[in-house]
Amino acid sequence: MPAERKVPEMIDRPMSFCPGCGHGIIIRLICECLEELGQDQNVIFPIGVGCSSNLGGGLVADRLHCLHGRAGAVATGIKRVNPDNLVITYQGDGDAYSIGIAETTNAAYRNENITVITVNNTNFGMTGGQMSLTTMEGQKTSTTVHGRDCSVTGFPIRFPELVASQFHPAYVARGSVSSPANIKKTKGYIKKALQAQINREGYSMVEVMSPCPVNWGMKPIQAMERINNDLISYYPLGEFTEKGGETR
Amino acid sequence: MAEMMKGNVAIAEAAVRAGVRFYAGYPITPSSEIMEYLSWRLSEVGGSFVQAESELAGINMVFGASSCGVRAMTASSGPGISLKQEGISALSDEELPALVINMVRYGNGLGTLFSSQCDYHRETHGGGHGDYRCIVLSPSSIQEAVDLIPTAYELGEKYRVVVVLMSEGALGQMMEPVELPEFLEPKKNYWGFDGKYSYKKIGIFDRDSMKEAVELNKKYAEIKEKEQRWESEGLEDADYVFVAYGLPGRSTLGAVRSLRDQGYKVGLIRPITTWPFPENAFREVNPKVKAMITVEANATGQLVDDVALYTKKILKSDIPVYALPFVYGVPPMKEIQNKFRQILADEIKEVY
Amino acid sequence: MKEVVCAGSGGQGVLTCGLILSDIAVREGQNATWCPSYGSAMRGGTANCTVKFGKDVIYNPQQEEPDVLIVMNNPSFEMFIKIVAPNGMAVVGDMVTCDTTVRPDVTIVKVPCSAIADELGNARSANIVMTGAAVKAMGDFSKEEAIAAMNAMFAKKGKSKFEEANKKAFKAGYAAV
Repeated sequence: MPAERKVPEMIDRPMSFCPGCGHGIIIRLICECLEELGQDQNVIFPIGVGCSSNLGGGLVADRLHCLHGRAGAVATGIKRVNPDNLVITYQGDGDAYSIGIAETTNAAYRNENITVITVNNTNFGMTGGQMSLTTMEGQKTSTTVHGRDCSVTGFPIRFPELVASQFHPAYVARGSVSSPANIKKTKGYIKKALQAQINREGYSMVEVMSPCPVNWGMKPIQAMERINNDLISYYPLGEFTEKGGETR
Repeated sequence: MAEMMKGNVAIAEAAVRAGVRFYAGYPITPSSEIMEYLSWRLSEVGGSFVQAESELAGINMVFGASSCGVRAMTASSGPGISLKQEGISALSDEELPALVINMVRYGNGLGTLFSSQCDYHRETHGGGHGDYRCIVLSPSSIQEAVDLIPTAYELGEKYRVVVVLMSEGALGQMMEPVELPEFLEPKKNYWGFDGKYSYKKIGIFDRDSMKEAVELNKKYAEIKEKEQRWESEGLEDADYVFVAYGLPGRSTLGAVRSLRDQGYKVGLIRPITTWPFPENAFREVNPKVKAMITVEANATGQLVDDVALYTKKILKSDIPVYALPFVYGVPPMKEIQNKFRQILADEIKEVY
Repeated sequence: MKEVVCAGSGGQGVLTCGLILSDIAVREGQNATWCPSYGSAMRGGTANCTVKFGKDVIYNPQQEEPDVLIVMNNPSFEMFIKIVAPNGMAVVGDMVTCDTTVRPDVTIVKVPCSAIADELGNARSANIVMTGAAVKAMGDFSKEEAIAAMNAMFAKKGKSKFEEANKKAFKAGYAAV
């Protein structure tokens, strides 16, 4: 007998992601963690602009669509006045790193007690696959048609490593949805990040490597393989810092 | 007894008394004393203060705090308020109230530190992208500014709009005797986030802009109908009516009274709400009035556009409308009177 | 309504001088406004403030035509003596060494404020000496009510510990004209 398909109660309708997209998996992981932590009735989502916006269309939860890149600031305002609610930003790499680098960095710098989930698919997905700060050297996008030339556009940013090494966050990790084993590990990272916020340890961030087959011009399986074969060597998976229950 | 207080400090304390419990902003002359004061004062009343990394971040923090139903505010001056326009547009879109204070300084770009009214058009006609209006309050004294702070939140929460206190650098920096308003007990608005999704919202992908447009127009029409505020003097028999707000409005009142003493039939409309524009004041004006004259602290004349519009709409008249733009500072009473005589002598050309 | 401009170098305390005058007026039940010049330089530049007080409504709080100029350096004297009202008054500190006879209609009241302050062993109190001298020369307030208002103002700022020194400086200035 096939296993029953169990959907977290927070998700009340399908979200319209492209076939093979990783967003749906990541949102599901977040919701599962919230339910397992008993926090699904205690959460506010400041949501980024881009494919991440779709989270707002499918969840039964308090959520606020933020201006492009500003979720770190909005989350700060929310958490300061509602310190007992879990506050989770959900953003893509274009939103959190390109346009939002000031707000994302400064929220980390202040060690705001929020959780930041960024989906790294190495391009601006929603607007048609333009280059972002995480686009790989040589990667073809709609604004780097001959492949990204890092000598004039800079090199792909490893933002979690920056936060972990320069600031004093509670928890920083990078996961991936490119295999069942990676998905399982990523869920663990998200749970630890949320637990850090519950414990009032400070800033927690999980970046998740996620496929964008449509804009990468690949089939879904190929896109998963690209993550495993080409991206993880540059964007290593794992935990970068962990306070382990130390209260702010 | 009223005590001498600096404008910015009095405004900040009035905000605390009006129940403001969140401030985020970025320093800029001539508004910084507001944030300096709140940086220590808010924690005394259980509120939060964030010195933001930028004006952009500041207004977006206010966006977050307001979404939780808390009375939130930010303050800045011209260039900083330009950066905040994005957030003001977002607040308007989500129908979240907030108080934005602009202690206006003169100039384009980086501008200058001089007290001015050069942001009139931007504040009163929806400065950011989209299709919205903010209620704009323009005090002419520190006492009036302080009294308008609780009003700002009442209006903002009643109509779910952003309220801008558009004052001038000089009002923030000067001192005069002030009596502060009573303390209000802060309460969270029922629609604020609580993490439980108690207040249901229409999802971003289910919104109907055509339906929302009807509601929006209804709301703005109601504000225009009910919330005009102004002070006027000598309109019934006036041959010439001055229109001026803020500190120039106060100086113009002095000039008007002096001109009356000299036998000139002049009157004054001093808008307190610069949006909604107090068009009803024009109904009190002598139907035989010969001209309208604005006194403004900007270079190009901005208020004059609205005065011309409402002269046409309410007075249904083709009389000349003059602008006396003094660029920055508070126009001296003597100078206003000199310019008035120049208008009489046909030495100044009307704008409309 | 009386208009007073206090002017000097940043750090000399001319803004405080104006503040004391406006506080005295308010304590006497009058209207008052105090408008500082403000700018990009925190220290070292010129500073001035305009104080208006009286029983009537104060319309324009900013400079128009001062009845009284209280002045503590040469550039300020040269800048502001021109706008003093006809037959007005200038209370001039001993830092002003330029020609003070440029406005024969204006009454010049010279105050050896830095000499007096040095004598009192408190060079920084020259502005309080000037305030005392100006109160006497202007004749709007009694010595007692002025000192009471000054003390109350400093107390409000948490600076009561300077009360004795300030009183001494004020009285010395008051006696010097």
